[in-house]
Amino acid sequence: MNTRLVLLWLAVGIPLLWGVLKTLENALKLFH
Amino acid sequence: MLAFLDRKNTVAPAGFNRFMVPPAALSVHLAIGQAYAFSTFNLPLTKLIGINHSAPGDWKLAQVGWTFSIAIAILGISAAVFGRWVETVGPRKSMFTAAVCFGGGFMVSAIGIHLHQIWLLYLGYGVLGGCGLGIGYISPVSTLIKWFPDRPGMATGLAIMGFGGGALIAAPLSFWLMEHFRTAQSNGILETFVTMGVIYFMFMMIGVYAVRVPAEDWKPKGWVAPAQPKPLVTNAQVTLDVAWRTPQFWLLWVALCMNVTAGIGVLGQASPMIQEIFNGRVSPAAAAGFVGLLSLFNMGGRFFWATASDYIGRRNTYMVFFVLGILLYSTVPTIGHLGSIGLFVTAFLIIISMYGGSFSTVPAYLRDLFGTMHVGAIHGALLTAWSAAGVLGPVLVNYIRQYQIAHGVPKTQAYSITMYIMCGVLLIGFFCNLAMRAVEAKHHFRASPKSGTAPNAGVQA
Repeated sequence: MNTRLVLLWLAVGIPLLWGVLKTLENALKLFH
Repeated sequence: MLAFLDRKNTVAPAGFNRFMVPPAALSVHLAIGQAYAFSTFNLPLTKLIGINHSAPGDWKLAQVGWTFSIAIAILGISAAVFGRWVETVGPRKSMFTAAVCFGGGFMVSAIGIHLHQIWLLYLGYGVLGGCGLGIGYISPVSTLIKWFPDRPGMATGLAIMGFGGGALIAAPLSFWLMEHFRTAQSNGILETFVTMGVIYFMFMMIGVYAVRVPAEDWKPKGWVAPAQPKPLVTNAQVTLDVAWRTPQFWLLWVALCMNVTAGIGVLGQASPMIQEIFNGRVSPAAAAGFVGLLSLFNMGGRFFWATASDYIGRRNTYMVFFVLGILLYSTVPTIGHLGSIGLFVTAFLIIISMYGGSFSTVPAYLRDLFGTMHVGAIHGALLTAWSAAGVLGPVLVNYIRQYQIAHGVPKTQAYSITMYIMCGVLLIGFFCNLAMRAVEAKHHFRASPKSGTAPNAGVQA
């Protein structure tokens, strides 16, 4: 596996995943 | 440094992994997607003097609201104006320019906040940042299409997904930074703007560094362009100057404008809408959760629908948007009367996924109709449909609601007429998409119908 490729995907994937988790956290309030 | 940005220095060496390009594009789109979360700054910008409250002399909410409108208007204009330049200089230089404009926009705005001069906020985030949005949005599109001739929908969907996802990162990041920098003398927004300007510039530079264009004769391993293209798909090329004079361009312009109009009005009014329709049953916090879910589906829809379009075709994908959209919008009033929050939320999540999907499918649709030569520039010109929808959508939703309430309609039912009008809007788009035909050969650039080969001359993308 190409290390640069993995690092690149991690660089964009980690912030995106953080944003998705934060959003889901807030969205749970809709179902309470 | 400047030579590093030149197109000729971005040609990929043999063996380059093309999956390096989507994250490069994503880094730009995730950054500029921050625009969707600009509303998080609205209230703090009205409390620069009063800190905890709006003091006399503080900017008014309506004044601050213009910043986002200017940025979106400039996005459409700059994408149209700079489209040809982006095609000529290549993705690295244009992505770098977008990073300078977008990051610089935050810095100029920060000066405006420091001096309390709102025109600097308009100039910074609105004009300069808006140019960053427009140039950044179209920068990687044609490059991705060239890297993924076998899956152009999936590739552009991945990048444009970032524009939807940018808000998911920017909203919590903005709140966190403002809280972090908050003192007794400042609400922290000045420092937040400076920090975000630096962060976004650096983040976009990842894309500048990683992006590559394929060599002229490059093709994916084992892939051959179909000798008999599918209906509506051309192997020929159409230049920007010719493309915007064809009926296909304007049919797609109207189709995109109608689909975006139907979605954007809802996106802007989602929180008050769900609270008013289900009076007393949905708290402001739950409504904010609904808005978050909409953002998530706006992002996911961009990838899902664009990828699906590689298999079912662009026109069919747009047909799904219009037919399913009409069905859903027409049943929303009934769902509201039934009081089913679950069905209501589900309907709007599907609608908003198709709103995002229309953006991400359109570059591949353009590539099918006009070829790859000027697809980025044509895409830029088509984005003026977004600017038009940005005005039309909220006006339709807000003014019709206002009119209804002023004429005695209860708030819980004030959106019903709007939903039926949205069905009409989608019906116009449906007929435009239905009328779509392949671009006539007389419009092709040095067309050679027998061989179906693409020209090598002209402005090279």
